[in-house]
Amino acid sequence: MFELISKFNKLKFINNLQLLIILILVVVLFISLYLGISLGSFQISFFDYLFGNDSKLQQRVFEEIRLPRVFLAGIVGASLALSGASLQGLFRNPLADPGLIGVSAGAALGATLVIVLGSSWVPSYIFGPFILPLSAIAGAAFVIYLLYLFTKGFGYSGITYMLLVGIAVNALASVGIGILTFISTDSELRGLTFWTMGSFGAANWLLVLPAYIFIIPAFIWLLNSARKLDLLQLGEPEAIRLGVDVRSLKFKVIITSAIVVGISVSLSGMIGFVGLVVPHLVRLIGGVNHNYLIPASIIFGSSIMIIADLLSRVLIQPAELPVGLLTSAIGAPFFLWLILRVKKT
Amino acid sequence: MDLKKKILFFIFVAELAADCEQAVDPTRVIVAGGSLTEIIFFLGEESVLTAVDITSNYPGSATSLPSIGYVRALSTEGILSLNPTLILGEEDMGPPLVVDQIKSTGIDLRVIEEDYSLNSIKNKIICVAKILGIEKKGDQIFHEKLNSTIIDLQALSLFNQNNLKKVLIILNMDGTSPIVAGKNTSANGFIEMMGAENAVTGFDGWKPVGAESIIQMNPDMVIITERGIRNFESIDEFIEKTSLGFTSAGKNGKIFALDGMKMLGFGPRSPDTALELAKIIN
Repeated sequence: MFELISKFNKLKFINNLQLLIILILVVVLFISLYLGISLGSFQISFFDYLFGNDSKLQQRVFEEIRLPRVFLAGIVGASLALSGASLQGLFRNPLADPGLIGVSAGAALGATLVIVLGSSWVPSYIFGPFILPLSAIAGAAFVIYLLYLFTKGFGYSGITYMLLVGIAVNALASVGIGILTFISTDSELRGLTFWTMGSFGAANWLLVLPAYIFIIPAFIWLLNSARKLDLLQLGEPEAIRLGVDVRSLKFKVIITSAIVVGISVSLSGMIGFVGLVVPHLVRLIGGVNHNYLIPASIIFGSSIMIIADLLSRVLIQPAELPVGLLTSAIGAPFFLWLILRVKKT
Repeated sequence: MDLKKKILFFIFVAELAADCEQAVDPTRVIVAGGSLTEIIFFLGEESVLTAVDITSNYPGSATSLPSIGYVRALSTEGILSLNPTLILGEEDMGPPLVVDQIKSTGIDLRVIEEDYSLNSIKNKIICVAKILGIEKKGDQIFHEKLNSTIIDLQALSLFNQNNLKKVLIILNMDGTSPIVAGKNTSANGFIEMMGAENAVTGFDGWKPVGAESIIQMNPDMVIITERGIRNFESIDEFIEKTSLGFTSAGKNGKIFALDGMKMLGFGPRSPDTALELAKIIN
C-alpha cells in the first residue's frame, strides 16, 4: 500500500491533499458501514454480535439479512459512482451518467420481462431465484452489444454518435417496458412500480457474493486507465497524439460500466442520481484528475448508498421507503444548488 | 362553473344511489371486476354475459368471453361497440372519465359497493341477483351453496378472536422487499374474516416491508399469492430461501401460497378459502 502511494506521488498523478481526502473518505465509509450494520428495525448490536452475546435469531438475522443488504448497497453505490465518473470522463460531458448509454434501461427491460411474464419459460431448477438478476444482466448485455454493433466496436465517428445511439436504445427499451407495463396485472404492476424505485430488499449472499466477484475486477481494470482518461480531456486527437489508444479506452470504459451497472440494476432496481452527483461532489472537494476521482468516487458512492439504504429501512418503519426515491429526492435539489453555485463564481 | 358543480354533484349523488334495483334489460351484460363475474357464474346466469374484463379469470370459461381490457383502464368506444344493455362494475372500475362517458349515453351502469367484509360478499351476491331480476333464485342459491360456509366461518372467526393470531399477506417479492398488505386493503378484510389480526400495523395500502421488520412482526401465518412464488420450485424452497423461515409461521409450517382472486377477490370463493385457513390457524 505504501509503495503504491509513493509510486502515485512520484508520478504526480495524485497529490497529498487528495490522498488525505481519500483517507478521510475511507474513514467515512467505515463509519457508514458501522451505522448500516448496527441500526435497523431489528435490535442487534454489532458488538454483541462480535462477542457472541446475542441470541441465535439475532445472529442469523444479522448474518443472513442485514450484512448482505449493507454489502449490496455498498457495492451498488460504488458501481454507479464509478460508472458515472468514468463515463463523464470518457464523454467529456459532466452530464453523463449510467442511464445515458442505455444500459440501465436494458437491464430494467430484462427485469421487467421476468416480473411481468414470470419465469415459467425457463426451468426453475436451473435458475430459481437468480432468474431476475440474470435476465436483467442479459438485457444490459444486449444493449452493450447493440452499442458495440452500431459504433463498430466503439471506435466509430466520435462521442456524439455514441450518445445518439444511447438515446435511441433508451427509447427502445422504454417502449419494451411500456408494453410490458400495459399487459401486466394489478399485482405485477405494484411489483414493477416498486422495483423501478429501487430496493436492496432482495439481497442475500447467493446474489451479493457473485456481484462482488464480477464487480471488483472491473473496478481494478478501470482504475489503471485513470491517467488515460486525464489525457482524453485534452480532446480525442490530442490524446491519440499523446499515445492513448482511444478506441480501446472507450471499449474498456463502456464495457466495465455496462457490467457494473448491469449487475447493480439487476440486484437493486433503478437508483437515480448517485452516478451523476457523487463524481461532481468528489471533484468539488478534491480535483478533477482521474487517479483521485475514480477511487474517491467508488468509496464515497459506497458510503452514500449505505446511508441511503439505512434511511430507507428506518425512516417509515415498518414500511420501507424505496431507496431510489431517497437518492433522487436528496440528489436533485443538491445538484440544482451546485449548478447555481458554479454559475455565481 | 355553477352548472359544472351541479352536474358534478348530480353525478356524485347518482353514484351513491347506484342501488340494486332491477335493471330494465339485463340481457347483454358487461362486467368489469373478477368477483362480479364469479357471482354471475355462481348464480348460473352466465348466459347474459357479453364481455368481461381481464381480472375475470374464474371460472375458466369466463376467459373465453370477449375482453374489455383492464378494469381500471377501460375504453368507452370498446365497451359501447359491444352494445351492452347493462354494465356492472366493482368500485375500482375506471378511469372515471370513461365511466362518466358511458353513463352519459344512458346505458345502465352500476357500481357495486364493497367494503371487504363477509357481509359485503353476501350483499354483492344479493344485489347482483336483484339487478338481474332473479332475487328469489339468487337467495335460494345463496342459501344452498354458501350460507352454511358463512355461518361456520362466523362461528370459527368468533372463536379465533379469543386467541388473536397475526397474519401477514404478501403480494409478491420479485427483486424488492416483500410487498405486504397494510390496513384498508382487501387482504386486511380477508384476515379479519378469519378472526385473526393483520401482522402489519402502521400503514395503509400495499407497501414494501424489509425482511427484518417482518421477522420483528413475527406473524403466526403467512399467505403469499401463487404468482409471488412462481420463481421458486415449491413453497418449501420458498421458505428455505427467504427470510420468512425465521418467523413463527415459518417454524410451524404455516406459510401458504394461494390464488389471489380466490382469497382477495371477495367473490363466492373467498368465504371457503377463509374458512379453510381459519380452521388451521390455531
